[in-house]
Amino acid sequence: MASTLRPYLTCIRNTLDAAMCLQNFPCQEVERHNKPEVELKSSPELLLNPVLICRNESEKCLIETSINSLRISLKVKQADELENILTKKFLRFLSMRAEAFQVLRRKPVQGYDISFLITNYHCEEMQKHKLIDFIVQFMEDIDKEISELKMSVNTRGRLVATEFLKQFI
Amino acid sequence: MARAERFVEADNAEAIITRIEHKSRKIESLLKQYKPVEALKTALEGTYAMTGDERCKSAHWIAVHRALMAIKDVDGMLSSLDPEYYDILMKYLYRGLATGDRPTCDQCLRIHEKLTEKAGLGCILRFLTDTVNTV
Repeated sequence: MASTLRPYLTCIRNTLDAAMCLQNFPCQEVERHNKPEVELKSSPELLLNPVLICRNESEKCLIETSINSLRISLKVKQADELENILTKKFLRFLSMRAEAFQVLRRKPVQGYDISFLITNYHCEEMQKHKLIDFIVQFMEDIDKEISELKMSVNTRGRLVATEFLKQFI
Repeated sequence: MARAERFVEADNAEAIITRIEHKSRKIESLLKQYKPVEALKTALEGTYAMTGDERCKSAHWIAVHRALMAIKDVDGMLSSLDPEYYDILMKYLYRGLATGDRPTCDQCLRIHEKLTEKAGLGCILRFLTDTVNTV
């Protein structure tokens, strides 16, 4: 399992390195407006090919780029029901606090667990390679967090059950 | 007028599919002789003489997939492959990564890492920007 994690993250890092070529581009339809083109998809000439990188059947990453914005959507591995619930709750917790993360999207794209939206303004304020480091680090940490949460839920459940059933001994 | 063009397209597609089947047989024989690099080269040649037809693209993808999965020595393969094939190989790698099938994705991720080291980020960018010659 760990043997595919390194190449998967390297592939995503290289693709992001190539795809994060953003510049300011005011809206073509409405004057004095500036919108992230990857969200609107109004003009095909402003969009690049979307890239889907799958690690296996359950984990994938969709990278869509346009002239002034980049959207990264992740689907995290969910082995069983418990991980499913934990992932949904944890990522919903993060998405609701998207203001603090700046690059996080409030709602994930349909079919994925979490989405990032990076615009040219983010690239101007922050360093491009640091943004990519953040995304890749996020992906590594998500897996660790979910496993830790699952372990703590199981431990707590076991303790509670032991205590409760002691009265019947 | 449009109907005539569509007939020409259909004929062209049939001819191309026969050519692809020819190539698949050649690839199979090369693989039997344990020459996976030549098989991959044969598979990647002539991809651009393609119409936008979905069947041609899938047939071509099946042939390239067969050759890709047989590659064991990635470094050797990349050193003997001509640089003009890097861009086409990158397009097929991304198509392989989009399938989601575990062994295909493993192999494609392995080759992608080495190919990016060799060909650079420009190769990836050429795939992202090429909306006309998709694979």
